[in-house]
Amino acid sequence: MNMNSKAPVIQTDNLSKFYHKNRTETVTALKGLNLTVQPGEIFGYLGPNGAGKTTTIRLLLDLIRPSSGKAAIFGQDAQQNSVELHKRIGFLPGELNLWKNLTGAQVVDYIGRVRGGLDMTYVRSLTDRLQLDLSIRIRSYSSGNKRKLGLVLAMMNKPDLLILDEPTNGLDPLMQQLFNELMLDVRKEGRTVFLSSHMLGEVQAICDRVGILRAGELKAVETVSKLMRANFRWVTLRLREPVAVAQLSNLAGVSEVSAVDGGIKLRLSGDFDPLLRAIAPYYVQNMEVAEPTLEEIFLSFYGNNGQGKKESAS
Amino acid sequence: MNWVVFNETVRRSWRGMIYWGVGFGVYGLMIMLIVQDANILKQYGEIAKAFPPALMQLFGGDAVSMATPEGFLAYGYFGYLLLIFAVYAILSGLNITANDEDAGITDVVLSLPLARWCLVLEKFLAYSLMIIGIVAISYLGLFIGMRFSALQMDGSRLLQATINIIPASLLILGFTALAGAVFRSKGTATGVAAFFVVGSYVLNFLGVAASGTFLDKLKGLSFFSYYDHQGVILHGLSVGNLTLLLVLTVICAGGAVWSFQRRDVGI
Repeated sequence: MNMNSKAPVIQTDNLSKFYHKNRTETVTALKGLNLTVQPGEIFGYLGPNGAGKTTTIRLLLDLIRPSSGKAAIFGQDAQQNSVELHKRIGFLPGELNLWKNLTGAQVVDYIGRVRGGLDMTYVRSLTDRLQLDLSIRIRSYSSGNKRKLGLVLAMMNKPDLLILDEPTNGLDPLMQQLFNELMLDVRKEGRTVFLSSHMLGEVQAICDRVGILRAGELKAVETVSKLMRANFRWVTLRLREPVAVAQLSNLAGVSEVSAVDGGIKLRLSGDFDPLLRAIAPYYVQNMEVAEPTLEEIFLSFYGNNGQGKKESAS
Repeated sequence: MNWVVFNETVRRSWRGMIYWGVGFGVYGLMIMLIVQDANILKQYGEIAKAFPPALMQLFGGDAVSMATPEGFLAYGYFGYLLLIFAVYAILSGLNITANDEDAGITDVVLSLPLARWCLVLEKFLAYSLMIIGIVAISYLGLFIGMRFSALQMDGSRLLQATINIIPASLLILGFTALAGAVFRSKGTATGVAAFFVVGSYVLNFLGVAASGTFLDKLKGLSFFSYYDHQGVILHGLSVGNLTLLLVLTVICAGGAVWSFQRRDVGI
């Protein structure tokens, strides 16, 4: 895929949003965002809660207005041309709220009419794949089913750009897998996906590139493969016999070894084999492996000052 | 405008319109049927003479007019009708933006190819139609009641008095929409709209009761004084009052569109 040959789908130029908490205090929700998303890519927008992901999405959709800077979608100003642009955008909010007294089918029908038409065959194919019953009233939907309905609403007009805020929240693992397949289908058709998440595993599975946001600032944009090279795990071992911390510290890929509550906690990069061989003589009562948090990967990749590359190769 | 929001709002609201209309219609019918002997009005008038004039003015009547069918209806029906109608108008006005925004639905709606002004305007027009529908149904109650009542009066005057409710109700609708668009919060919008209606009612109430005083002059600030239910049923519609209320309605609705158009939504 030659991404540079086409105009960007999303481009922001010093996009900022400040809120006045009170007369004297200002809260920075987003600061000087310069971001480019290319056609046909799945772009993951990563950051912890409160980092500014939803603010960015709301600015792109003209739900809120920038304090400074601007955003363009398909080369058009996101604020000036919002109505025209929204014809080409499907949106799933982080928390989907709909009219509780309506059935799923009534909501689909209404939103379809606002969009100017509805391809019921495609809607049915989506609901079949997602195993979603549209005859139920919104108030009776489980959170997972509401999420599925949100996906149907976002995807039903086959938009050129899908903007999804925490799309897999509330979906069971099978449905998450299905969601991944749907997104890969969208990419196959040359359409673009911009999804926000605070879960690395989610973006790791489907995204081409990720942008990492922290405290309202975009700290880095990287390909997923590059980010994963910085991956590591936390391993906690409980051995029957005590083992000296120093004994494990010198192993390949092992660092930050410490004694914790009757066990040993260490950070492991790369393969398990050196560690397993080293502890083979001991009786292992328990071994826990925990994925690092996004923040930890970020720090591992960019160091504690967080001064990473801004908007690397598009 | 593609009228999708208008049609959807009408589709979701027409049952409510019928319930409210029938409610007001039955209220009007009962007021009519309660008078089975025209002489009873004279007795009401005699009783009313015993009350201090200021007290009678306070309740929107006087002893002389109370003894006429028109005065009786103005006092017993139209005097309170707008106040009850205001509840529907406020609830509908909140539905224009405040309720959906409070429930977090506006994000989904405005992510669609739909201009903000279109959303506000189409909903405002839909609820205006609902108000007209309620007034029409409620008139049927009065009309039927008149056929079985001892109250005999000019049917067109009755119609005019009923139509007179529309501009004031539209103003309340528009004002509530404006409050919802400006204040975002459903609670604040409800409070401001309720204060507008109750405050106007009290201002008019006091102005009428204390005629010739400072309060009498202040009542011009109340939209109830332009509703003037007694004047309309006795003398017919006042074009000046109607125009003023409709102009204020347009200003409020325009303000709601303007405010909603330019601000952040759903925060």
